[in-house]
Amino acid sequence: MDLLYQQLLAPKKWSAFLDLGIWRFLWAGLSVTLQIAAASIVLSLILGLLLAVMRSSRLPVISWIAVVYIEVVRALPVLFMIFFTWVVASRAGLGLNLVGQASLALTIYTAAINAEIIRAGIASIERGQVEASRSLGMTYTQTMRYVVLPQALRRMVPAQVSQIITLIKDTSLAAVIGVGDLTRRAQIIYQSEFNPIQSLFVVALIYFAINYSLSLLTRRWELAIGGTVQAVGPSRDH
Amino acid sequence: MPPGAATAVPGAPPPFGTALANNLPLLLSGLVTTVSLSALALILALALGLVFGVLRITPLAPLRALGTVYVEFFRNTPLLVQTFFAYFGLPAVGVKLPGFTAAFLALGIYTGSFVAEVVRAGILSIGRGQLEAARALGLSYAQMMRHVVVPQAVATTVPPLGNLVIALVKNSSLASTIAVADLMYNGEIVNSRTFATYEIFGFVALCYLVLTLPMGGLVGALEHRLTRYRR
Repeated sequence: MDLLYQQLLAPKKWSAFLDLGIWRFLWAGLSVTLQIAAASIVLSLILGLLLAVMRSSRLPVISWIAVVYIEVVRALPVLFMIFFTWVVASRAGLGLNLVGQASLALTIYTAAINAEIIRAGIASIERGQVEASRSLGMTYTQTMRYVVLPQALRRMVPAQVSQIITLIKDTSLAAVIGVGDLTRRAQIIYQSEFNPIQSLFVVALIYFAINYSLSLLTRRWELAIGGTVQAVGPSRDH
Repeated sequence: MPPGAATAVPGAPPPFGTALANNLPLLLSGLVTTVSLSALALILALALGLVFGVLRITPLAPLRALGTVYVEFFRNTPLLVQTFFAYFGLPAVGVKLPGFTAAFLALGIYTGSFVAEVVRAGILSIGRGQLEAARALGLSYAQMMRHVVVPQAVATTVPPLGNLVIALVKNSSLASTIAVADLMYNGEIVNSRTFATYEIFGFVALCYLVLTLPMGGLVGALEHRLTRYRR
């Protein structure tokens, strides 16, 4: 009982968090975490869109490249991607810093999942709508632009947001290659303050606050628009 | 000296495959650790998921709240933080766990929060009216389970559970961050010893692919088969 009190509640275990400097330190870590997440979100959306288009290509070579990329990357652990990118990028001298390397690894990984979400979103639009637009004289581009994509994008939002939640959790893996993100900074704090339980708990709460808010937003969106796609992708990629 | 080695240029890297062949036992023992860690964590995750999934839909508010707190907290925080908590945090309160056990606990508890959601969705997918209708038609409880409840519950839960197993196998690689000698950890060790990155990481990737790809195919096929009655 006394051990539990000493370790969990004793003021000296928490006093570090009364210091504004610690919060500034964590804030800097959070901004690294969010930078990695933001860069990966934007880049993986572009690469994912490209892969989705390639996958639906009529040229078998191109669609096969996309399929192999998507299936192989999704089958590998994110930590593997981080290590592999780190080793290769440092040796090849790409001039990427650690934050860039972590973002690259997460982009490569998330793009494969985004491609699946985008594909599922487009596939969820009933074929009859496409046929109707074409018979009304709209070109393929017009059909995509005015009929398919506006609806498909809206249906993809929940799957995309849940992928963003996964991505924010995965940015913690950057700590393993030495990036000073939120998780790494929790470690730095408890190594000098000897309060691993408290430091990790505080950092967990920060991740929780961000991710839980995002998940509440998705739920509202799902209720607001009714139908959403259950992309095959995200469910196996937490 | 073996005849083949005599022709090697001094200082030149050994031929492709040497590093892999020399370290194969170490890598394979890592593979065994990855598989056993995943299997054990899966059992824990299924048990926790079943309990908390049911808790989330009980009429008792405090129990329901407990289920919600478990699910929302663990699935919204990084597994790495949870793993560190189990390995570096728990010793502070006198619970000193070996790396394998800490990784097993963190992975099982983390995945359990996703399993709980699948279980909940599976139970909710069967409308109350169906149960009442089955009983009204004179089906016994066992018949109702056999013909009405189980086929639908399995159809809604098995494919997502399969996906969770794949995620779990991939996530087991985080055990390497607390020095558990799994596939990822041994792969890194061999890589840093031999510098044969493409060879070693290629083999590690191949092992993960062999573990997860067939399962993905199986899940897809099951999904197709099990939801047939709905079409």
